[in-house]
Amino acid sequence: MSKVVFSPARINIIAKNTFLEAVRQKFFGFLVIIALGIILSSQVFRDFNFGAPELKFIADFGFGAIVLFGSVLAIVATAQLFFSEIENKTAITILAKPIFRSEFIFGKFLGVSLLLLVFTGMMTVILSVLLFWRETAIMEGVDPEAFEAGRMVAYGDIFLYGIVQWLKFSILCGITMVVASFSNTNLYSVILSFVILLICHLQYLARDAWAQMEFLPVQLAVFMLSAVFPNFQLFNIGDQIALGESIPFELGARIIGYALIYIIVFNLLAVFSFRKREI
Amino acid sequence: MTSAISIEDLTKDFPLGFGHLKLRAVEDLSLEIADNQVFGLLGPNGSGKSTTIKVILGLLAPTRGTCGIFGTPSAEVSSRRDVGFLPEAPYFYRYLTGFELVRFFGRICQVEKSKLNDRVHEVIEWVGLKEAAHRRVGTYSKGMLQRIGLAQALVHDPRLVILDEPTAGVDPVGSAEISSLILKLKEQGKTIILCSHLLGQVEDICDRIAILNRGKLILEGELRDLVSKKDLRSVVVQDYREEYNDELAGWLQARESRLVSVEQPQYSLDRVFLEHVGRSELAREKLSERAEVAKQQDTASGKDNEEKKKSS
Ligand SMILES: Nc1ncnc2c1ncn2[C@@H]1O[C@H](COP(=O)(O)OP(=O)(O)O)[C@@H](O)[C@H]1O
Ligand SMILES: [Mg+2]
Repeated sequence: MSKVVFSPARINIIAKNTFLEAVRQKFFGFLVIIALGIILSSQVFRDFNFGAPELKFIADFGFGAIVLFGSVLAIVATAQLFFSEIENKTAITILAKPIFRSEFIFGKFLGVSLLLLVFTGMMTVILSVLLFWRETAIMEGVDPEAFEAGRMVAYGDIFLYGIVQWLKFSILCGITMVVASFSNTNLYSVILSFVILLICHLQYLARDAWAQMEFLPVQLAVFMLSAVFPNFQLFNIGDQIALGESIPFELGARIIGYALIYIIVFNLLAVFSFRKREI
Repeated sequence: MTSAISIEDLTKDFPLGFGHLKLRAVEDLSLEIADNQVFGLLGPNGSGKSTTIKVILGLLAPTRGTCGIFGTPSAEVSSRRDVGFLPEAPYFYRYLTGFELVRFFGRICQVEKSKLNDRVHEVIEWVGLKEAAHRRVGTYSKGMLQRIGLAQALVHDPRLVILDEPTAGVDPVGSAEISSLILKLKEQGKTIILCSHLLGQVEDICDRIAILNRGKLILEGELRDLVSKKDLRSVVVQDYREEYNDELAGWLQARESRLVSVEQPQYSLDRVFLEHVGRSELAREKLSERAEVAKQQDTASGKDNEEKKKSS
């Protein structure tokens, strides 16, 4: 009997199936509609005739909607797709096949990550279209002087923003996968993952506050905190973009590298904890 | 030749909440299951059948002991290469059609891509779901779920097929059909392990059985040895009359045999049911299988006797 070897093809099959299941769930459609609604609702303020600052307002609004709903989607979809396999016992059928548990975890991760890419991509495109439309209208009507130097919105940077947020959502997906791999219920995983999300967003505060302390245990604790939990503040480049600054290439590359390392580490942790799980 | 499955001193405990309390689901189980037979793993609910199967398939880690499939330890992924498994009360991705589902598992099992679609059609037809192949699995009845489950277990043409309660909740017609599929699998040279508590159904198809109770093996052996009364035979006569009794008893006595009873043979309720719901082919098939089993029983029990003489 020949040995079964690790197979990217099997990961791909699981990922596709996971993605399909996610897209067919009502939750995804619901979230897309709400997020779209929020982005488009920025148009309610059109009557105020902001002129050029309106564009910054729309961008801020849109970025906020992407971050908020993308984070919710990352956590809820990961936990839901993982536990639907466990609770419906479809995991039993799959894992009784010649398949490595790591393939299962990687497949699940990639499926959700693809879902998040589709979500972020859709939102980014809608946001850009909206901005382009308003920009053109303002350029030609309300406030032509502000556009003497050409268009103000850096559309390339908006897409960069989308990519950076997608990476952040993927880290979050990895975190939720680790949590789900050892916990027993969907709800517990979702709550714990949101708590971790909060820590990841706020850890920089603790770092700033405690960094001056010379006391070794505190320094150690701060170091641990910042090593274990990724610093999500780093992904917060929306302000810069909305202010019209462009993102230096080096910073973009650093963020991408940072994200990839955490994604890999969390995936390996999830595999490690799922390896011995009783199905 | 290596056994299809070998289990050695298997014990499986489940932790019960807090503290050190444990539930022992399987205790010191040792079992060898030889190739190409239908093996019944029987026992009441909660006796540890499913747990044993899950340990064999590497879904649960044994607390103590080892097990393997065709000589490969269950802990290795390669051990599951030649195994098809139909879980208890199967539930599949509802949003896939039967065809897509079987195809999905075929790809997981790395069925060659050029042959995949043909193979999927073939197994779906084989389990009798051709008409429903393009309906969503979410709309399937219980019997259909068991069949599609059987199809996904067979898609990669495994040598060993493990079926956990394949007829639970399925009506007698469906059960009889599943039974006849199992016998066909055996004809193809496969080994089938059948977990069940429905003894009437397994009686017709198992070659060998093991009975578990509270996680312990309490009986194991060839089915015909366990159920047949070796020193008795029944003779079925057309137009028998009661007044023959005395004469027959005398005739037998002269030959040092004894007439034990004269009874009217009865059809099983199963068969009556099958005939009346219009599946008389199945009923007949079932009856001829019984006759077949009876024939084998005679020849084999002769063999057994010889073996016993040798060993004593
Ligand atoms: N995951 C589990 N956690 C705790 N107890 C379990 C678990 N799975 C099975 N059991 C217990 O183990 C015993 C054997 O169960 P099982 O193997 O499913 O029996 P069977 O398949 O023979 O009906 C039962 O008492 C059951 O409650
Ligand atoms: Mg069971």
